[in-house]
Amino acid sequence: MDTQDLSIAEMGRALRAGAVSAELLARDALARVAARDPALMAFVLVTESRALADARRADYELRAGRDRGPMHGIPYALKDIYDTAGIRTTCHSKLRIDNVPAEDSVVAAKLTEAGGVLLGKLATHEFAIGGPSFDLPFPPARNPWNPAHITGGSSSGSGAAVAARMVRMAMGSDTGGSIRGPAAWCGLAGIKPTYGRVSRRGVFPLSWTLDHCGPLTRSVEDAAITLQVLAGHDPHDPASADVAVPDYRADLERGVSRLRIGVPRAFFATAPAAAPEVLAAIDRTISLLRDEGAAVEDIQLPDYALFAAAGRVIMMPEAFAIHEADMQSRLADYGEITANRFVLGAAVTAVDYINALRARRDLTDAVNAALGRYDALLTASALAPAPRFDAPVDSLASASPMQTIPFNVTGHPAMSVPVGLAPNGLPLSVQIVGRPFDEAMVFRIARAVEQVTGWEDVALPAFAA
Amino acid sequence: MPNPPAAEILDAELETLLARAGIRLPDLRRDAVRAAYADLRGQIALLHGRYGPAAEPANVFRLSPAEDK
Repeated sequence: MDTQDLSIAEMGRALRAGAVSAELLARDALARVAARDPALMAFVLVTESRALADARRADYELRAGRDRGPMHGIPYALKDIYDTAGIRTTCHSKLRIDNVPAEDSVVAAKLTEAGGVLLGKLATHEFAIGGPSFDLPFPPARNPWNPAHITGGSSSGSGAAVAARMVRMAMGSDTGGSIRGPAAWCGLAGIKPTYGRVSRRGVFPLSWTLDHCGPLTRSVEDAAITLQVLAGHDPHDPASADVAVPDYRADLERGVSRLRIGVPRAFFATAPAAAPEVLAAIDRTISLLRDEGAAVEDIQLPDYALFAAAGRVIMMPEAFAIHEADMQSRLADYGEITANRFVLGAAVTAVDYINALRARRDLTDAVNAALGRYDALLTASALAPAPRFDAPVDSLASASPMQTIPFNVTGHPAMSVPVGLAPNGLPLSVQIVGRPFDEAMVFRIARAVEQVTGWEDVALPAFAA
Repeated sequence: MPNPPAAEILDAELETLLARAGIRLPDLRRDAVRAAYADLRGQIALLHGRYGPAAEPANVFRLSPAEDK
């Protein structure tokens, strides 16, 4: 049995049936990391002794009758901006290369409490923005589908680790698309939950009002299981929402019959960077959803450029405010891409920022109005498959190929789900957007997409087979 | 806000803003930052002049009365 081809739910059943042990799952995953990671560089730190200790504890507890739930005994890894008590957390940066937090982030603590097995810390673009870069303490992660191509970022190691079947779940963070981008370009499910759904406490901030925490996984069900563990109110996170968390798997298999899905076609159809294979994949997905009984209609939203402008104009000064002192005194210690992006925050005036916040209210109202008429929206995650390392893109520029930042601006839950492969063998995806706190509907539609497009039958990269 | 100004004015504007923020940019990085600033400036321009006085920013907040403990 290849344990890494078992879903989280299947691993759980095998554990409880005694067919596998958590230690076996951990050792399998560690062996895969040892074999694959020298070429992919997904991990910046492998916590082997911690993983084996977690796994042995999980086995002992199951034998003793203590079952912590669906993540019990499941290997996972964390983007290296999540604080881990006693374990180095670098943000992939020289500036925090010796940082060892005293406490876990809330996410890390919840995964430990749920019985998860921490395999290590994962590469990221520096401070979740600067990359892919070769002037940082660790190399950039590479795309398992073709290592000459980037994973997308900033949750680059998370995308590579899950796509290369090192772990079934890795945590990412998403300020402008840093979960959904790597998910799209690595052929994974990646959800940015509603703003406030998952505590950000103990996660190094990029932009307080745009930051979200969420998982990248091999399947929609894996994502639903993970979010079930993570979602919930944290009174110590000022953005955390005190909203009940439903059972995310209850409606997962209900399909899309009679659902209404809006498509803001102008977002992607007229974008100069839109690749024909992306547009064809979106249209094919829409057609398949209609075949399943969904009503899928084109809708109008405000211009995409307004969403992108608001997102960037909010993000840059918030990020600069966080890094101001270090940017003034240690500019040379940042990677070049990071520094070049952060300095722009100093060039945004207060009026610019306020105007972006006025746009944010207006744009959020427009998306809410659309979601008053539709159960969810479907749009592109990215306008093209993953680019090569030698043809990099600026994911924040106005010509960015990413289509993710609108829902950081508005806070709506949004998920990238793979739908097929481009002629060059790289994954294609779509993005599902839901009403605030209705991640359950996002999962339901994404699960249907996963099924109708046949993604479940797509072979993973030969590299990782 | 009118259309973005000429390149030399943009350069001077960027220099002033960075100096005000206490940032000294290495010469080798200036071209890349200037290009990114020009792009950002275009995005900033999109957001100016769109909203009247009643259009409030998203950070306007609402207080709740203190609850009895």
